Amino acid sequence: MKGAVLLVAVFVVFKFGAPLVTAPLPMSLIWLYLFLTTVGIVVYGTLSSESTEALLGPIFRFLSGEGLNGAAKFARLAVLMLVPLLVGWETYSDLVPSSQPPAENRTIHPAPPGEFVGLANPVPNTPENVMMGKGLYAAFCSPCHGPKFNGNGPSSDGFNPPPANFVDSGTIAQLQESYLFWRIKKGGVGLSVEGHPWKSAMPRWEVELPDEWIWKIIMAEYAGSGHKPRTWE
Amino acid sequence: MPSRHARLAVLAAAVAFLWGASALAQETAVVRVKLIQGDVPTDPLAPVWNTTPATEFPMSPQVHWPKRILQVTVKSIKVRGVHNTKQIAFLLEYADPTQDPADAAALEFMVGDKKAHFAHGQPMAQVEGGPVNIWYWRNDTPGAADMNAKGFGTLKKQAQQDVQARGVWKDEKTKVRFKERKLILRKDAKGEPAKDPKTGEPLFDEETKVVEQDATGVWHVVFTRALTTTDPNDAQFQLGTFPNIAFAVWDGKKLESGDLKESGSQKAVTSWWYFNAEPPTNYSIYLYGLIAVVVAAGVEYVIIRKVRKGQPA
Repeated sequence: MKGAVLLVAVFVVFKFGAPLVTAPLPMSLIWLYLFLTTVGIVVYGTLSSESTEALLGPIFRFLSGEGLNGAAKFARLAVLMLVPLLVGWETYSDLVPSSQPPAENRTIHPAPPGEFVGLANPVPNTPENVMMGKGLYAAFCSPCHGPKFNGNGPSSDGFNPPPANFVDSGTIAQLQESYLFWRIKKGGVGLSVEGHPWKSAMPRWEVELPDEWIWKIIMAEYAGSGHKPRTWE
Repeated sequence: MPSRHARLAVLAAAVAFLWGASALAQETAVVRVKLIQGDVPTDPLAPVWNTTPATEFPMSPQVHWPKRILQVTVKSIKVRGVHNTKQIAFLLEYADPTQDPADAAALEFMVGDKKAHFAHGQPMAQVEGGPVNIWYWRNDTPGAADMNAKGFGTLKKQAQQDVQARGVWKDEKTKVRFKERKLILRKDAKGEPAKDPKTGEPLFDEETKVVEQDATGVWHVVFTRALTTTDPNDAQFQLGTFPNIAFAVWDGKKLESGDLKESGSQKAVTSWWYFNAEPPTNYSIYLYGLIAVVVAAGVEYVIIRKVRKGQPA
């Protein structure tokens, strides 16, 4: 009984509790935890003949049906019928062609090429430069990334993945200015394979904008989103 | 009674498992290409389309490379697909208030196993990309153009033309849904325009809502092709797989200046999505499921018989 409760508890914690604090766990991992828990229960339950009887006795009595009557008898029958049906359903589910596209494990912030690591913004962070950066941002970036820097620009709807939301604490707040310089200069096609460059609509701005403008746009993105660039300190 | 509790626990675990499995299901935008009997329709208004599910994709102005455009006529496109294991047909439907000679639409696919950028398969810095196959229809040109590209400026019509297309514009009423965004000047407690205390700049709030508008005029365009061809420049489609697909639409309305409203790189686009050509039903799956039920029931029977014969732990 305690073992069954423990198994259910492990399932509930990993299946429904874990997503509250971290990413949902894959079912394969949850099955592994359930398997390890089962092994632990069996090892613990077979340490002595008494504990073996305590562990296996109820299972054998349930299987044999001895002493069961009324609702308990009916419930036993239902469980015994349900198990083969579940096995059949699982077999069918494994064989039926998937109606879902393959999972896409796109890395949102893949590592930049070495030449873009640790670059310092050469443009002084003055109100004038930030203002100019905001003007450049409005002209070149806001159609997709939005006037409020939240990725909700009027041209964003058709793109998959959607343009980055700079206000979100998971985007530029986690990045250095040099990283943004790389992403803006080289665009979506500059991403490594983990970033799925074939899907990105981000233009390769190096063919249209001088570096100085890109640095000013970066200042504007931080000022407008209310974040500060990540630094080594 | 412990055995009763154990049974309840097993039942609870089974319910939780089934509930969890359904919670995992997650729909992604996919064009479901339905298997039909008989010929695939070349008529955009054929009755079979009425019973074929549509997937709607929002469209964006093409902003990826010059010459850009920031406003487009077509805000979203509905796509349906059917196949008969030999031929495949896609129906594109979108609102366009005027029928113009230069109105046009296109489908795009990756060719081969290599990933291709959705913008004409342009080169990628760190990934060796492949070409794209583009099916292009224009109102004033009969049929379709079967084209390929691997980078800007490389788009060309293929020697072997395998695609057919036909468009019908109908003066019908439809609903167009799109996101409307407004910036509203923020007011302070006194009703005056609020300003950023640090920069003195006026502050705005954003209002975004999904708007549904009545529109008149709908293009229905059908593209058809064999699922597989002998042309190595073509995309080849296997049943049950999930190839990428992208869409582009041009409103060819002539402006007072004499220029077309949308032409060339100035168009409405999507990036890559998926389609799935439904495979024929494989009835052996049901048989294997049934065999699994019988085997599981047999194993249960053997175990229970053994237990009843009396080898308790």
